[in-house]
Amino acid sequence: MASASTSLSKAEKSYIHSSLCSSPPLRADGRSLFDFRTVLLETGVAPLANGSAKLNIGKQPHEGGGGTEVVAATKLEVEDIENGDGVEGGRIICSVICSPSAYPHLSSNALDELQYDLTTILHQTLSDSSLHPPNLGILPNKKSWLLCIDVAVLADAGNVFDAIFMASRAALWDTKVPRTRPIEYQARGLAPSGAADVEMDTESGQQAQKSSFDTRDMIKTAADFELPDYWDEGEVLGGREQWPVCVTLNILPPMHYLDATPSEEASTPLRLLLAFSFPPDSPAVLQAMRLLGPGELTVAQLKAFTADGEKYARELFAALEGKLREEDLRRNVKARDRFAAR
Amino acid sequence: MIAFASFAQPPQDAIFPRHHPDVVDDMDVDLGEDDFERGYQRLTCPGEPITSSQAFMRGHGTYVDNEEVIASVAGTIERVNKLVTVRAVRSRYNPEVGDLVVGRITEVQPRRWKVDANSRQDAVLMLSSVNLPGGVQRRKLESDELQMRTFFEDGDLLVAEVQAFFADGAMSLHTRSLRYGKLRNGQLVTVPPALIRRLKSHFISLPCGVDLILGLNGYIWVSKHMSQSQQEGDAFDGEAVYSNRNDEIDGATRIAISRVSNIIRVFGAHFIPLTDTLLLEAYEWAVEQEGDVRDLLQEDVGDALVATVTAHN
Repeated sequence: MASASTSLSKAEKSYIHSSLCSSPPLRADGRSLFDFRTVLLETGVAPLANGSAKLNIGKQPHEGGGGTEVVAATKLEVEDIENGDGVEGGRIICSVICSPSAYPHLSSNALDELQYDLTTILHQTLSDSSLHPPNLGILPNKKSWLLCIDVAVLADAGNVFDAIFMASRAALWDTKVPRTRPIEYQARGLAPSGAADVEMDTESGQQAQKSSFDTRDMIKTAADFELPDYWDEGEVLGGREQWPVCVTLNILPPMHYLDATPSEEASTPLRLLLAFSFPPDSPAVLQAMRLLGPGELTVAQLKAFTADGEKYARELFAALEGKLREEDLRRNVKARDRFAAR
Repeated sequence: MIAFASFAQPPQDAIFPRHHPDVVDDMDVDLGEDDFERGYQRLTCPGEPITSSQAFMRGHGTYVDNEEVIASVAGTIERVNKLVTVRAVRSRYNPEVGDLVVGRITEVQPRRWKVDANSRQDAVLMLSSVNLPGGVQRRKLESDELQMRTFFEDGDLLVAEVQAFFADGAMSLHTRSLRYGKLRNGQLVTVPPALIRRLKSHFISLPCGVDLILGLNGYIWVSKHMSQSQQEGDAFDGEAVYSNRNDEIDGATRIAISRVSNIIRVFGAHFIPLTDTLLLEAYEWAVEQEGDVRDLLQEDVGDALVATVTAHN
């Protein structure tokens, strides 16, 4: 794991350690151990993406700078199953890029390594079959959607993993899959007899007799698909409630804390990443777990930390869910009201 | 505990005047000879014409287009004879000889350290411009060169003074005073360098048991209070100057250090220049509120703090 942290003097490190281990524990900015900095979130920031979100942890009010800033966007691409890379039911690819200005002290090689590490963790977690959305297929055995999740880290002020997972979850929540209608190509005048007696959704009834755009009973024989022109951008991804959230437990045995700043990260020997998903009406599922850093942990400690992590993740999940619903409301209902009021 | 909020939205009803560049604005922005004579400072926006390039020379922060000197940064206009420059509001630290800076060692090189001091280039601290432990006065030998890391190593924080400049504009630092040297017993806070003014003393000790070192480069060291005699005593007792070990710091002092740091962060976020009286007033206000240290970072509390403190001054 490439070190993303800034250098720190021994005196600073020991000051941070002794502050965290004193009772009551104290952090540099006065937060308690399990407090997050304020998280800013906005969905729908990229008009050309199918879903997008911008997230900032710990931005300073008024002044522009500060905080970990992450932008995530999803883009759906059509893939050919027979001749291309497509897979039945669609597939998911994640990638994370880090802006060099977020890590000015890293060389380009080290930055590549860091991007690769972040990409691997995100991809392995989100492309898991247990999370796969059901509506990524278009035509069986012919076409499917490729869901690309691109995350850009624009600034790193600590806790970048949680930020990436939260932003990805928000972008996936925001993703709209375009509605598709299968079509079949036929020679003129050879329309199936079943097509004649039912009204078509094309405008001209006369043409409908011979239309080659009849969509019924065609799923099996359909050669291609079209995008119906409809007022919304499509339907949301199936099972969007269960995209995971990640909590990073910064472990300084025997205690641990959340949402570390860069200097705290640099002085903590061990980080435990836990990604939980919370499917409705069923117990939480641990989707991913990573230990980063040179420290050590026994199995018993790991169990205790995992149980704690689930608690924090649930809290985070509930807060994020609330914010996402609020964003949906802001962009749909309120935007419509504002438009009507003009 | 986690709280979500929204990004600041642009005001819905704000009407921004939009002019085609050809449309003559009713405000005359061009400066003539006499405008400069009056000696007032004016702010510029990037792209704003300042004056004619025939009468003046362009300096830093400006460029010439269509025989006009145009600002390329937001800042204040300055003029020396015929040279017009714009000093940017937000920039890296511009060092001057005699400035007190706080820096962090980034590299150990032969007979010198490279120091990050928030400037455009890394500063240089020569081995010949540091004090030897114990205040011994002698030439630095090869043996000192071999044990440079016992004085300062990568990541160490230090307070120093700008001694001179190299030909390429990099600054040379020195720590040849008992007040300068390695920093410990505290934490670092960073603000834009423009917010630190040149004061009589940049070593401030607040009555709450906290010492501040306001580096002109925007790095501020907030630490436990140390009396003058103690500090100078330390400097003479051999290894203590370059010690990496912190003293015992009690909880109350730690809380005070965190509180002062948060106040500085609030001032930084509101872009308010720091002075000792301002900090003291803000600290008293924060203690009066009986809130937690972390409350200061909430937007409304920060706004209230700034409103109260700036109202007095």
